[in-house]
Amino acid sequence: MKTLRATLSTVLSLLVVFPIAYSISASFFQYTDFTAVPARLLPSSLNISNYIRAFSESSLARFLFNSLLTSIIGTLLRMAISIMAAYTFSFFAFKGRNALFILIVATMLLPSDALIIANFMTIRTLRLTDTYMGIIATSLLAPTHIFMLRQYFRMMSVEYREAAIIEGCTDLRFLTTLLIPMSKAVILTLAIHSFSTIFNDYLWPLLVTNKTSMRTVQVGLTMMGFSEHLDYGPQFAAITFLMTPILIAFITLHKPITESVSIRFTGR
Amino acid sequence: MTCKPYIMIFPALLLVVLFSYIPFILTFFNSIHSVSLSGERLGFVGLANYRRLFGNQSFHASLSNTIRFTLFFVPTNITITLLAAVLSNRKGWLANLNQIFFFLPMAVGMSSMLMIIKMMFNPSIGIINRLVGANIQWFNDPNAAMALLVIAGVFLGFGFDFLLFSAALRNVPNDLKEVARINGANGFQIFRHLELPLIAPTLVFIIVTNIKNAMLISAPVLILTEGGPFRSTQTLVYQMYLDGFKSGNYALGSAIAIVVFLLTFAALLILLHLERRRIYYQ
Repeated sequence: MKTLRATLSTVLSLLVVFPIAYSISASFFQYTDFTAVPARLLPSSLNISNYIRAFSESSLARFLFNSLLTSIIGTLLRMAISIMAAYTFSFFAFKGRNALFILIVATMLLPSDALIIANFMTIRTLRLTDTYMGIIATSLLAPTHIFMLRQYFRMMSVEYREAAIIEGCTDLRFLTTLLIPMSKAVILTLAIHSFSTIFNDYLWPLLVTNKTSMRTVQVGLTMMGFSEHLDYGPQFAAITFLMTPILIAFITLHKPITESVSIRFTGR
Repeated sequence: MTCKPYIMIFPALLLVVLFSYIPFILTFFNSIHSVSLSGERLGFVGLANYRRLFGNQSFHASLSNTIRFTLFFVPTNITITLLAAVLSNRKGWLANLNQIFFFLPMAVGMSSMLMIIKMMFNPSIGIINRLVGANIQWFNDPNAAMALLVIAGVFLGFGFDFLLFSAALRNVPNDLKEVARINGANGFQIFRHLELPLIAPTLVFIIVTNIKNAMLISAPVLILTEGGPFRSTQTLVYQMYLDGFKSGNYALGSAIAIVVFLLTFAALLILLHLERRRIYYQ
């Protein structure tokens, strides 16, 4: 029974990881390796020519730069806006506080995919198509982040901040020296989530960019021109190059990621 | 001094108004007007766009394909991810390795994963047909293309759903399982009568989010099948993209967006209802 379970589990896990493993292996394939009989799982030689071609015969480097830039700036702005809003909603008393909070959080109900036509028209009116601002504009607000940060901030009592303010502490100093360091774990989790959401977004950047030079890597990857000619080597190389750093990070951070998920989604 | 809190939430408020509320109202308005190619509303047409939509063969295909995809995808995905979580919920280095493999798909970006699948399933030089020794026309046979979308969907969501299931299973107290085992329960009975009821809240959460995601599916269609063959994999959001952007028919695209919105809204209402009863916080 025990060995059966271990065997089934291992077979299933190998199936799940197969596309990733195959992509790494195929990134070293020569053209003839793809058509060899019987089918090859491992490359005939370890040759990095596919990687060189992926960069020299496409704008992969530019795509990657665009993606990193928009993801980093987008994440920073998104966290700043969320922290500021969550802080205000948790520590200030003002007219209409609850109504405004609900106004923001209620947008969790609007699926962004259903709004892309109207958002696209707004971005076009603002003349922001083919700009970095246009790519990140719609992802700057994360109502879920504001909601979760407020839940977290409210664990600290309001008197705490009032005492600090009476002692002459400014809001900015209170935030940067006390609240943010205290909430490091949750802020980091949300920031990582933001980064990967913006980095992996597909439909929106596809719509708001037309110039090749403004494409993000997720969009650019599907338009490199290799796979259309069944020239799979460089395409697999580009994909492998992109996913390797994240794979390494995921393997080394396996434990903390698993734990943060169990805390966030099962309420423990 | 009293206006300070308003200044601090202003960016957030501006963004929800600009990119959530205004577009929502605009989408609704556009869906009951005729709209020019440059996006100007030309005249009020009432429900004409919706009537055109519901009389449109292409929309019938999108609606039925979206529902078909949801019906195939959700049970398949939940069975496989739950099976993986149950099988790997044990101790030892091999179990650890299995768990890492199961959650790795989460590290691969959506379009990367879809491009890998697209190349692996190429009928002539893709590894899948060559390994299996079959000649399945993954992109030209309507049933195979739908199966391909389901396979792609499973790989795209696998890591995350697996993590949620594993976390829930780990929270099942070990002494309860021990007691059941001493009383002679076998592995399947423990799962059916002890673990399953205890992870039910997570299960419900995953079912509802899976339904919502399945109804919004677009990227796999765009990258893998482009709706083909013969519209057999054309989904609602994909048709919205085709009509709204490729053909510049903003009015029709907006009407589809409203239909999509209503469908997902129904799914979300169920989720919120269950959340309010704190069903998935245990």
